[in-house]
Amino acid sequence: MSDDIPILRLGPNLMVTLQGNLEDTTVEHIERAVTHEVARTRATGLLIDVSGLSIVDSFVARVIARLVAMVRLLGARSTIVGIQPAVAITLVELGVPMSHVRTALNAEQGMALLREPTGR
Amino acid sequence: MGYAGAVVSDELSYYQQMIDNITEYEVIRLDDNGIVQSWHAGAERLTQYTAEEIIGRPVSVFYPPEEAASGRVEQDLRIARDTGRCESEGWRVRKDGSQFWASTLLTPIHVHGTVVGYVKVSRDLTERREQQLAALGAEQMLEAITDYEVIRLDRDGYVRSWSPGASRLKQYTEEEVLGHHVSMFYAEEDVRDGLAERELATAAREGRFETEGWRVRKDGSRFWANVTLSPIRDSTGELLGYVKVARDLSERREQEQLVQRQRDEILELSTPVIQVWDKILVLPVIGTLDSLRAARLTDGLLERIARDQAEVVILDISGVPAIDTDVAQHLLKTVEAARLMGTASVLSGVRPETAQAIVHLGIELGTLRSRNSLRDALQLALQIVGGTAAEREPVDV
Amino acid sequence: MTVLAEDAVLTMTINGEADLLHVRSMLRAEAQRAGLTLTAETKLVTAGSELARNIVRYSTHGQGVASVERLHRNGRHGVRVEFRDDGPGIADVEQVMRDGYTTGDSLGLGLPGSRRLVDEFSIDSAVGRGTTVVIAQWSR
Ligand SMILES: Nc1ncnc2c1ncn2[C@@H]1O[C@H](COP(=O)(O)OP(=O)(O)O)[C@@H](O)[C@H]1O
Ligand SMILES: [Mg+2]
Repeated sequence: MSDDIPILRLGPNLMVTLQGNLEDTTVEHIERAVTHEVARTRATGLLIDVSGLSIVDSFVARVIARLVAMVRLLGARSTIVGIQPAVAITLVELGVPMSHVRTALNAEQGMALLREPTGR
Repeated sequence: MGYAGAVVSDELSYYQQMIDNITEYEVIRLDDNGIVQSWHAGAERLTQYTAEEIIGRPVSVFYPPEEAASGRVEQDLRIARDTGRCESEGWRVRKDGSQFWASTLLTPIHVHGTVVGYVKVSRDLTERREQQLAALGAEQMLEAITDYEVIRLDRDGYVRSWSPGASRLKQYTEEEVLGHHVSMFYAEEDVRDGLAERELATAAREGRFETEGWRVRKDGSRFWANVTLSPIRDSTGELLGYVKVARDLSERREQEQLVQRQRDEILELSTPVIQVWDKILVLPVIGTLDSLRAARLTDGLLERIARDQAEVVILDISGVPAIDTDVAQHLLKTVEAARLMGTASVLSGVRPETAQAIVHLGIELGTLRSRNSLRDALQLALQIVGGTAAEREPVDV
Repeated sequence: MTVLAEDAVLTMTINGEADLLHVRSMLRAEAQRAGLTLTAETKLVTAGSELARNIVRYSTHGQGVASVERLHRNGRHGVRVEFRDDGPGIADVEQVMRDGYTTGDSLGLGLPGSRRLVDEFSIDSAVGRGTTVVIAQWSR
């Protein structure tokens, strides 16, 4: 079933696109598939494109935050791109802790962010 | 980059430079008596006065004489002074005497608790108002042709004329209805009750009858209609028949939405987002922020960030008379939402009391940066856009 | 999932995780119908998603009901949604309304977060008798 999860390879980076009205099990399935793919390809960066999500509730937000943490343990950095304006303010009001995730306006800027030296 | 290099000592004059680039708005400073103190290109474009001609003259010259005479200007200044803002819409006068429809926001400038003057933000709405009126007129005309049913019945209720609007509403062609009784458009139970006959009788007796109810299309589907029946009489008062006007009330909803949109635009006006540089937005927050305005401000700013793909936004809060913890909290939420979208924020014009309010909230300032003046904020913004992405995001994980 | 319409109240039964999708799309349609701003719409749908998920997670057999009512007041329109279940109920309502409290392994933000997202929020629960949460969002 991992065939239908759109994971794109862009040089040393991977890009996954989340979109539509997602069931919890699908979200968790994507989380597993992406983690495996990062490990398998030894990617150094992961771009998570959420511009196609019109809602992100605490469950989905938590899975994304967890994915970022796991990918980091695998030695890669993540950037979330394309959070919609209404989704951004909703996440803040909801109170989901997201301070450790890096974000960018679009895929292009997200890639630029991933290309930069870690600094640490 | 010209802006970053400019060294301008006076904060207001720097602001002035920025304002000079704004041509859609007029942003001028008045003293406490309403005398014009500052001027810029946008204001000149709007009113035709040059700086030499207008500085030192009372703001009432922009008001139509009868309004100025009625003490309207003083009243607006007083409202602004007492309540922290005065928002109005009305006719304003240019140098050549011509008038334009403008929205105006007056906000007092406080120094040590006393009002030393006002900031006046105006915008010409004439064109938009005319467009809206024109659009409205055209819409109503179209409606009259296709969305209203206007038909004629004889004195016994048989259909004698049909219209394109009626075809659209009820799906019947002219041949299918001419000569048939009007009850063919009524719901079955209403036909049994003799509703159509009763309505016609009432219209004849009262001179007019209006009602709302279910009506039936050719395919059997129902719609909620507004119906008016008016009797037609000859010169002797003899009843000849009726004019029947019917309308599908789903339309009402669209009207309401139009009103809503206009209300939104007015709110949006009081919080203009200005693009000062490629990828840099400034939100000059002027006046008191109630919760509705604050929510609008956030929505508007975030949408604008998405549209312009702005990398930095400067929130200039020097024009806000008082920032309580609610407003401070709201501003920080806006900053965090912008960060989630990938945009850095710079606060500008934070006063000591505001700093206290923010710190007392115990809120993690995170990536929030703040500069004393708008000039410094702009400089920082330019550095962020020009620099590497890492500078934009100091917290690297 | 079944949808019944009686007057202005629409009722949708919740039987499992798949119904979260139905609740979200129904609330989105209702929000648009009421003319809510996109932000108000997104907040309403998000709160609804949280509350429907609570039914799926915490109610008996994950079953409950979501009822929508269309509101009209002074030219404004609104959407009211009631999430009701006959599950185990909540012993200490004040406790579950605090950020971070959870008996599952999730974030504990569903209830307190939902309250922040909507214009009106109320919760009523008793042990053994189930839980009812009502939210409402208005057009401006
Ligand atoms: N419908 C319900 N029935 C019973 N208990 C509930 C219900 N909804 C919420 N709870 C209880 O309230 C707690 C907090 O819920 P919530 O704020 O949504 O956070 P979370 O779902 O992450 O635990 C849950 O862990 C659960 O114990
Ligand atoms: Mg929950």
